[in-house]
Amino acid sequence: MIVAIGCFAFAALCSTYRLLIGPGLAERVMALDVTLISLMGAIAVDAARRDDTTYLVLLMVIAIVGFTATVAASKFLEQEHEALTLAPTESTPQ
Amino acid sequence: MTLLATALMIGGGGVAVLAGIGVLRFSTTYARLHAAGKASPVAFLIAAVGAGIELGAAGSAALLIAATAMVLTLPVGVHLLFRAVHRTSNNDHLFVDELAPKLLQPPWQSESP
Repeated sequence: MIVAIGCFAFAALCSTYRLLIGPGLAERVMALDVTLISLMGAIAVDAARRDDTTYLVLLMVIAIVGFTATVAASKFLEQEHEALTLAPTESTPQ
Repeated sequence: MTLLATALMIGGGGVAVLAGIGVLRFSTTYARLHAAGKASPVAFLIAAVGAGIELGAAGSAALLIAATAMVLTLPVGVHLLFRAVHRTSNNDHLFVDELAPKLLQPPWQSESP
């Protein structure tokens, strides 16, 4: 189980490095997602190792917060792109 | 039983390592999103099955709720990210881009049902 936690920590380190060097905002959001999922897996394995179900509520919270962050960031990307490329008169609602 | 649970958790960790290497080493944004959106939930699901075998009924219920929430929400989020990347960047390096001609016309004018 220590090996499994180490594997999840390695995945979190890789995606944290991508989070730091990532070329765009989308890659940073994606790397944050992978980091959160690695954290979720490490929490699950740690709960199994200590035979303690206290922190398993955190998993659901992390999943929902990560989804909200991803959706908000992608909508921000699209809206910022529209605001930068289209003139205000051209942006007619469909 | 414990051996199976440990094997599943280490297998999930291995898939997580593959996802991390893919996120770190792939060349284009789409390839990195591909590695992030498909390998990492599989890693968590395998590790969650192992931890559920180890923990029993109460832990399995919490893990099932968490896994359901992640399986329902994460493809939607990754799909939105793909769409945002496709709309905001130029896609000249793609050999086949099937979405670009469909973005030019509104969906109610497409001839396919």
